[in-house]
Amino acid sequence: MKFFFPDSQDQVDPTFDFQTEERDPFRVRQRDDLYAHEVLKPPPFNGLLVSKAIVDGTAGSSTGKYTLPQRHRLYRQGAREFFRLDNGSAPLKIMGDCGAFSYVGEEYPPYTVEEVVSFYEGCGFDYGISVDHVIFQYEPKVLRTDEAAKEWVRRQQITLDLAAEFWQRCSASDVHFTPLGVTQGWSPESYAYAVVELQRIGYRRIAVGGMVPLKTKEILACLRAIDDVRAPDTQLHLLGISRVDEIPTFAGHGVTSFDSTSPFRQAFKDDRDNYYALDRTYVALRVPQVDGNAKLKARIRSGEISQGQAMQLERAALARLREFDRGEIALDAALEALDAYSAVWDGKANRSSQYRDTLENRPWQACDCSICKKVGIETIIFRGAERNKRRGFHNLHVFGQRLRRQLGDDDRD
Amino acid sequence: MTTVTKQGDESAVAASSGKVLHLPALEIRQGPNRRLYTFAVDGKQVPSFAAVSRVRRDSQQQLHGYQRPEVLAHVAAIRRYVESDDRPLLPNAIVVAFDDRVRFLPADTASDGPGYVRMGTLVVPVSEDWEDADKPGFIVDGQQRCAAIRDAEVPAFPICVTAFITADQADHRSQFILVNSTKPLPKGLIHELLPAASGPLPNQLRVRQLPATVLERLNFEERSPLRHMIQTPTNPAGVIKDNSMLRMLENSISNGVLYRFRGSDGTLPNIGLMVTVLSDFWTAVREVFGENAWGKPPRKSRLMHGAGIISMGYLMDAIADTNSSGEEFPDVQGFAAGLKTVKDYCRWTEGTWDLGDGIPRRWNDVQNTPRDIQRITDFLVSTYYAKQGKRHERSSRLF
Repeated sequence: MKFFFPDSQDQVDPTFDFQTEERDPFRVRQRDDLYAHEVLKPPPFNGLLVSKAIVDGTAGSSTGKYTLPQRHRLYRQGAREFFRLDNGSAPLKIMGDCGAFSYVGEEYPPYTVEEVVSFYEGCGFDYGISVDHVIFQYEPKVLRTDEAAKEWVRRQQITLDLAAEFWQRCSASDVHFTPLGVTQGWSPESYAYAVVELQRIGYRRIAVGGMVPLKTKEILACLRAIDDVRAPDTQLHLLGISRVDEIPTFAGHGVTSFDSTSPFRQAFKDDRDNYYALDRTYVALRVPQVDGNAKLKARIRSGEISQGQAMQLERAALARLREFDRGEIALDAALEALDAYSAVWDGKANRSSQYRDTLENRPWQACDCSICKKVGIETIIFRGAERNKRRGFHNLHVFGQRLRRQLGDDDRD
Repeated sequence: MTTVTKQGDESAVAASSGKVLHLPALEIRQGPNRRLYTFAVDGKQVPSFAAVSRVRRDSQQQLHGYQRPEVLAHVAAIRRYVESDDRPLLPNAIVVAFDDRVRFLPADTASDGPGYVRMGTLVVPVSEDWEDADKPGFIVDGQQRCAAIRDAEVPAFPICVTAFITADQADHRSQFILVNSTKPLPKGLIHELLPAASGPLPNQLRVRQLPATVLERLNFEERSPLRHMIQTPTNPAGVIKDNSMLRMLENSISNGVLYRFRGSDGTLPNIGLMVTVLSDFWTAVREVFGENAWGKPPRKSRLMHGAGIISMGYLMDAIADTNSSGEEFPDVQGFAAGLKTVKDYCRWTEGTWDLGDGIPRRWNDVQNTPRDIQRITDFLVSTYYAKQGKRHERSSRLF
């Protein structure tokens, strides 16, 4: 089972100073920063998934996450060098896709097959996913012939037609990457239908798309339907799957790879499961920057809250947490400081008992990942990109361990 | 110099706590009805007598105060300076408005100086217990500096203060607007001053110092093909906008051939090598594209225009990457050879670009916008790779 992590320019700056919250002003973004696979041992994923939409933007208005100088360097150097895929303790693979979610609202995908083949080949990818068009809905009872399925059938047909063209172009120009076709559907039967078509074209690697909003049992229903038509040597890739605990179950249905951002994103998007441990999760300790919390900033600007007081509470919260970490003060003193600051920036949620749980267990002290070892309690403080991304990296590390354990793999890699 | 006393005759001014500061001061008469006071005080003491008047509205929607919140990044920058510079200097005075609890006691000594100034002592009541609203002074200008000194890990930091006495908050407010409504320095002048500035500068300007220095050398050195061609405040006749050249330099320093010479881990950037590479490249550009496109104002030649300068920078990086490794980089001939392969596709001064997207672009329709810069850049770089043959088969597919 191969885990691919979608690239979204997520690196950490090694020059960031947690005490002063300053960085080396001369640091060059991305070049001087570190990817998760450069920080963690073993690398927490088997490869990166890079979207054309993130690098090039879509033809419309969005410009992608890459600056023009970065984009040109990626093209000059190729993905292997740009992403420093060989810099970790094990080399990584790289997979390309189009980033279909970025154009889900469009009538038709904005990229030509030729452009996409060129992108994969020009960057030197190992795998390339054909151009697809996402179907968002899941309606197992709706048949192809129903009026309600009209738009879904249209999108599925676009995806299949483009997959056929993609296969043809890849074969004709003898590309260096392995092409993957995409199955999009709205029901188990429709997913299976597309798999039959893709196998007829010649694909033996098929990416399953549009599953992000689906429940686990719905995904499983689709995989079972696909099982009925899947050739024995056809391998599946699950696109953007967030129910990562079910991966071993999925493996029984021909799934050999998947990609997910969810361990990373939960670090700073989830309401409570922010910090992974092997057998459970913890809420992170929220100490937002007075300057970084939009709501708090507006209230200060209007004169409703005193900036000086907010800053004092913020500093006290950070100081108490560090003292608690060093064993200098009791849990209650740290918790009080957290709560006092929370009352100012977040009147609604009371996370006191969750914070107590996190503090009591001190999971950052038990963790053996290189990030927790180096910066300790800072990893579990919810505050600014440098801490939040490090916590995301930590989660990827733990997720890798969980995955290997679930699959019965040797954890030493 | 500063004394804190408990004096019976000043009980009126210091009734709340009985403490007063005696600050040696000058009183300056300005206009018919205005008296200014100028004095020095330890910045750490300022919060004991002066507050920042934050703008807000009360429940009746009445406006109070006038100051915005502290700009934390700005405060942090000043604080870092005060803490870490070996001879920090904050020369300009902060401005404080006092109410009439503050008094000026003229010195007895008769002076034969000018009549508009006299020496004396400013008597300022202080207390640690006061709420902000109780303090006799409000900071009209300098709240970031005061906050930085308040937070700085230094025992003391004396500063200059200019004060006036008025009970009228509308007066504070207009003074606040006056001192804060000046025009910032033009960017071009800042960039021109940067190479010769030293000592404390905000970080975003320190980062600009390197490209600004390279630009200056390209603009004024004898050997540079761009000599006197870049428009700056002291070289207004230049045809290339300073900003276009800075962008080109910054792109290459962060992601192109110049990155190799930027220095890191304590080593200084090798500006000489940067200038050499750039001089060789732009000499090659002048040779290959010739008089027709070179040295003309942007409205006559798009090569000298933002879109031309910046896209040529990317081409420089591409040619350098193809023809060099490690310490080496192309010379004038090397760059010229690369440029010649794209020359026939360029339309800097006349004609119509065929950018391969089926949309013809007249030469003077190319604008200095990110979109057009990207189009021209992608076209130039992909054309260049396409002409390099097998080795760049993959790269040429990209655009």
